[in-house]
Amino acid sequence: MKLSPDSKLDIAELLRDLEHFRPKRKGWSWRRRIENQSIGPFIYRDSAQSLKHSVPLAAAHHFDHIDPQCDLVITTEIASGRFEDDLRRMRMAAWHGADHIMVIRTTGQSHIDGLIEGTPEGVGGIPISRKQIRATRKALDAIEDEVGRPINFHSYVSGLAGPDIAVLFAEEGVNGAHQDPQYNVLYRDVNMHRSFVDAAEAKRVLADAGILQLDGAHNANATAREAWKVTPELFVQHAINCAYSRAAGMPDDLIALSTVPPTAPPAPKLRLDLPYAVALREVFAGFRFRAQQNTRYMEANAREVNVTHVLDTLISKLARTDIQSTITPDEGRNIPWHYNNIAGVNTARQTLMGIDGLGELLRLRETGPLRDKARELKERAVLFLEEILDGGGYYAAVAAGQFVDQGFYPERRGDGIVRDPEGGDGADSVIPRAPDYGAPVCSHFGNNIYAQGDARACDAHGGCTLCDPDKIQYIDELDADDNVNRRLERPLDEHRRGLLRPEVEKHGDNVVSVTLFVPASPRVAEAAALQMAAHMGLKDPQVISRRMMHPAEGSVFEIKGILDIAIAIDELELPQRLEPLDDAEIESWVRPREIHVVAATVGEDEHSVGLHEILDIKHGGIERYGFHCHNLGTSVSIERLLDTAAQTDARAVLISTIITHADVHQKHMRQLHELALERGLRERLLLVAGGTQVTDSLARECGLDAGFGRGTSGRELASFIVGRLRQAV
Amino acid sequence: MKHIEREDDFSSRRMHLRELSDDELHARFWDLVNQIVTPLIDEARSHTTPSIERSVLLRMGFSSLEAGDLVAAMHRRGLLNHGAGRQILELANKRRISIRDAGSALLEGRYWELLPL
Repeated sequence: MKLSPDSKLDIAELLRDLEHFRPKRKGWSWRRRIENQSIGPFIYRDSAQSLKHSVPLAAAHHFDHIDPQCDLVITTEIASGRFEDDLRRMRMAAWHGADHIMVIRTTGQSHIDGLIEGTPEGVGGIPISRKQIRATRKALDAIEDEVGRPINFHSYVSGLAGPDIAVLFAEEGVNGAHQDPQYNVLYRDVNMHRSFVDAAEAKRVLADAGILQLDGAHNANATAREAWKVTPELFVQHAINCAYSRAAGMPDDLIALSTVPPTAPPAPKLRLDLPYAVALREVFAGFRFRAQQNTRYMEANAREVNVTHVLDTLISKLARTDIQSTITPDEGRNIPWHYNNIAGVNTARQTLMGIDGLGELLRLRETGPLRDKARELKERAVLFLEEILDGGGYYAAVAAGQFVDQGFYPERRGDGIVRDPEGGDGADSVIPRAPDYGAPVCSHFGNNIYAQGDARACDAHGGCTLCDPDKIQYIDELDADDNVNRRLERPLDEHRRGLLRPEVEKHGDNVVSVTLFVPASPRVAEAAALQMAAHMGLKDPQVISRRMMHPAEGSVFEIKGILDIAIAIDELELPQRLEPLDDAEIESWVRPREIHVVAATVGEDEHSVGLHEILDIKHGGIERYGFHCHNLGTSVSIERLLDTAAQTDARAVLISTIITHADVHQKHMRQLHELALERGLRERLLLVAGGTQVTDSLARECGLDAGFGRGTSGRELASFIVGRLRQAV
Repeated sequence: MKHIEREDDFSSRRMHLRELSDDELHARFWDLVNQIVTPLIDEARSHTTPSIERSVLLRMGFSSLEAGDLVAAMHRRGLLNHGAGRQILELANKRRISIRDAGSALLEGRYWELLPL
């Protein structure tokens, strides 16, 4: 399957012949770091190979449209409940720099004792099944070819079916997985013995398939009231999973700690979080680090969330990190919307490119509070381990409520999570292996009569599915109603009919959001805002974010609602866009003709960046075709512009109006046209306006020949001028 | 059960760690962790579970539905301690049939009288 940047992902094609699909590679991929890489006008210290296709940061058009890629893998977590919609989100995220796609599982999958098959719809995630994984891997294989970088696909190996899921992931080319038996025990109340015995098998399977493993320790941050106080315990949770993984046969470089800076402003974040991050990396030298962004203290205010996440990313860079995970800025209000996945990815990459080369500018101090605090945390962690052993080991410690206690260990509040070692889901399902126990397959952990000598354990029957994927039994669908084909009936029909609906999560969800400021006290303002949204035609309007500006002067609200409307693409009137001429064609016409162009930023406006880009040879402006450009600068009067046009016998006048208030830009455009008429220059001159608030139709209404909005290139302007002057000849 | 409540006694409790260098502290940390993990991994080495056995049958070329039914039936009959995969392989060898045919026969209720093999 091959993707074209101009075409949407073809879901029908994707689902075709999945039975015979095989992933093109297995195992985890890191980015290829390039030191001192020259990209556009800059040299980057810590960048990776660039992409074939991407959407650069918005400001990149000031810097030759560069899109440098940081050297960390960037993660985005995706969870809509419908994998067929998630695939489009993954493609958008990949274009914005994500190369680790973490698929959240549907609520409750941990307690299902076996694999799910088919494509049932999930809640808060997708039911992980072979078909969904295969379809996703097939899409990601195509997407990684499109962007030109491997994309790591990731999900969860926890719950009662850990070994089953690990085998599924190894067979289907999943590249990363969460696996941590402590997560089952503490947060899912799966029986401890079952959880650890299963985990050894799952880890062995993951290790042999080259799958990168993340642990589940960060969950303690997310559940604690004072998240910075569970840090001593987090060393312990990370360590138990790391040591257990090693013992199960996993190499250190496939074992990643999932760690998160525990606090957020107004807490003094760096002072609390950085010593912890540094201490963790010292104790766990040799393992990999996945840095998550804070979720514990995220509110509905997206701006505030973004700032915390910038600081989280700074901590990643100041300590050492291999993977920068991102959290969507709307996680505090709803299941993430797709464009907020993209926003989260952009927060990370914008920050990381902005602090490129930080290591050559500053170094963390080797004495003082950072070191003292780091040492203290390590000692507290050692004391925690001592108490586990004194109390009779891990199971006894969990039974005694030593874990996820809110105290700053060794302080204990007596409110830890308590689990009975003999209780929980799957109790009494752990069976001693008899001396003749055998499992004639690869990647099996523990006593096994078939694992003797150098031969493969599966040679006894000609190879297992890990050696011969043709033996994998593929099940398509089990439920005649709850499946992707049924769900796609309407979207595919609307696609065929050329209908478009607004969406934030799934096709046809019709959700839109509007921002409203209302100048009243919060309660009054909110009631008024909801009514305003209803008047806009939004069904079921709900406030998703509220922020008081002043108790009496007003509040700002973001309101989501349903806009149940389908727009027919055929009936849209699209603004005409001029097809630009070839550079050579423009230059061969312009150069011999000595064409003068007069330009300026008009009115009380000191912004002249846009005009430079359009004119200057060094920015790729129209000078390079041989136009003689007279840029008069900023705050120039219309009279002076036309004086110069007359003196130089110019053929075109360009005015730039970047930031205007009260429609001043329209006034200037009209004035230019009228004064040119009055002076008898209008017929000879092409009058053109440009600026962020200018459109072609607006400029024409004001009497000009053309208007160019944001993102116009010199080539487009030159094409217009040449096209019109050629007609006039 | 009411479990431990304790004031932060870090300053007295840490006395024996105070003189350790950072490297010594790290070594002590990992030594304690390994002591905690050893009995856990020993249990895993010598025990199995229905999910491990299902995952073995998946690797032997059975679907998740077949693996689930076969392992549940063996669990009921107390056969998992020998390994579900081993039982099916031995049955296939004894009857000179394929692995999948052996599994299908068991799912149809045949040959159970021959187990354990």
